[in-house]
Amino acid sequence: MSIGSTASLVGDKAAAGVRPRHLPGWMRKTARLLLGLAVTALLWEGSVRLFGIRPAYLPRLSVILAAMAATPRAYLDGFVRTLAETLIGFAAGGAFGVLIGIAFFRLRALREMIFPIFVVSQTIPVIAFGALVVLWFGNTLLAKAVIAFYLTFFPVTVNTLLGLETVDPKLVALMRSFGASNRQLLLRLQLPTALPHIFVALRLASSLSLVGAIVGEWFGDTTGIGVLLLQAMYTENVVALWGALLAAALLGTGFYAVVAAAERRLVFWSAEQ
Amino acid sequence: MSTAAPSSSLAVQRGVLGAVLLVLCWEGLARGLHLPSYVLPAVSEILAGAWSKRALLSEAAGYTLLEALVGYGLGCLIGIGLAVAITMLPPLRAVILPAATAINAVPVVGYSPLILLWFGIGVVSKMVMVAMAVSFTVFLSTLAGLDRVDRRAVDLMRSFGAGRFSILWRLRLPTALPLLLAGMRVSTVRSVIIAIITEMLGAYGGLGWVIYQAVLQIDFVQVWSAIFVASAASLSFFGLIGLLERKILFWK
Repeated sequence: MSIGSTASLVGDKAAAGVRPRHLPGWMRKTARLLLGLAVTALLWEGSVRLFGIRPAYLPRLSVILAAMAATPRAYLDGFVRTLAETLIGFAAGGAFGVLIGIAFFRLRALREMIFPIFVVSQTIPVIAFGALVVLWFGNTLLAKAVIAFYLTFFPVTVNTLLGLETVDPKLVALMRSFGASNRQLLLRLQLPTALPHIFVALRLASSLSLVGAIVGEWFGDTTGIGVLLLQAMYTENVVALWGALLAAALLGTGFYAVVAAAERRLVFWSAEQ
Repeated sequence: MSTAAPSSSLAVQRGVLGAVLLVLCWEGLARGLHLPSYVLPAVSEILAGAWSKRALLSEAAGYTLLEALVGYGLGCLIGIGLAVAITMLPPLRAVILPAATAINAVPVVGYSPLILLWFGIGVVSKMVMVAMAVSFTVFLSTLAGLDRVDRRAVDLMRSFGAGRFSILWRLRLPTALPLLLAGMRVSTVRSVIIAIITEMLGAYGGLGWVIYQAVLQIDFVQVWSAIFVASAASLSFFGLIGLLERKILFWK
């Protein structure tokens, strides 16, 4: 009976999996994404032509892409540079946020002393902070990464703490009764419980770290998407400005998608996407 | 409540202790090591600097707060309006949601140069930037709140003959209120920061402008005093909306 029902279940799955399960997955998603992009591109191109929108506001997509293709070096270099700053800041901010979150969870006194200062630190306008950081670290890649770090660590800290606090005390008591050490408790129970919360913050942090990198580049640099944006503004070159915006959008959504994919992989048990 | 009160007063004490320790360390470090003011000026030096420049700073803060407040109000109206429109007219969802996501694919500050070109370097460009940043956050949180409504409660109200508007007014909006207000509270600090960032790229006045000028003149006492003023402004705006939130959500 049980073997039969298992077999029929497997059979059902195999039957269902022939078409929509094997081919789809990433392929159907990619197809849908490409279709969405194509529709957006057509709408953009079409509405600019149809309504006669002045290029000073919104140039045609084809014009922007042609301009980008004419000087691919600047965009490519800028993209790679900003990506590096974003990734370093994100990694540092994420790691620091999780560690501090755990420390705050363990040491209540420490949290009550330092957490308010963290909150206040987040009201410091990032450009003022950026000006200081560029002064301290020089106009380097590191300075931009530090600014990205500053924007990233706070949400990760908050959500790590929040996630750790959702752990069921009865489960902790149970594991303790089996002689689990603090380390085991953390790695086997508390961190896995907090992981969905941490990933919500990491997704947010992925966009924030890009903001930090771009704003950091506004303090004078030679490569980067932020530099491209500023140069285009000073020369009032709207086509180049939109080109830089497209590059920023590509970087932002790409990075976000990577973090979200990692989330689906690591937090496979969570129903939330 | 009786158990919460002592522990929360302890938390306040510890928070004050932390702040005092920070200020003391800062002051001691800056004075003890004779750090030059471009590395880290002492707190007392910054406060004295802020006091001597109080006319300039308060005018700049007023300018920035005006931009932030107008933009914030506009952004909240747009965000809530769009979320309500989507809920009332579900077909709109397929248009507005992807459009909002596409616009939000670029980090908001990326639009600053474009908005400055479009609206000039006066106050309007800053208000537009703040409204953009605030409206998206408020839109998402309002939508999440409106969608959280219990399906059965809607069906119940409908079975008593309630129309769309009365379901919206009596059921959906009150249910959405906690999330909506949380989104509005988070947006306060954001609105001040976005105004300041946009001012840095070009403005006739405001805290961002003061900071940028001070950086160019390597006057770091003034940078820090402007930071202090900006933080104080953000925190009081945050506190004001937080207070409003507790008043409105009296049942929480």
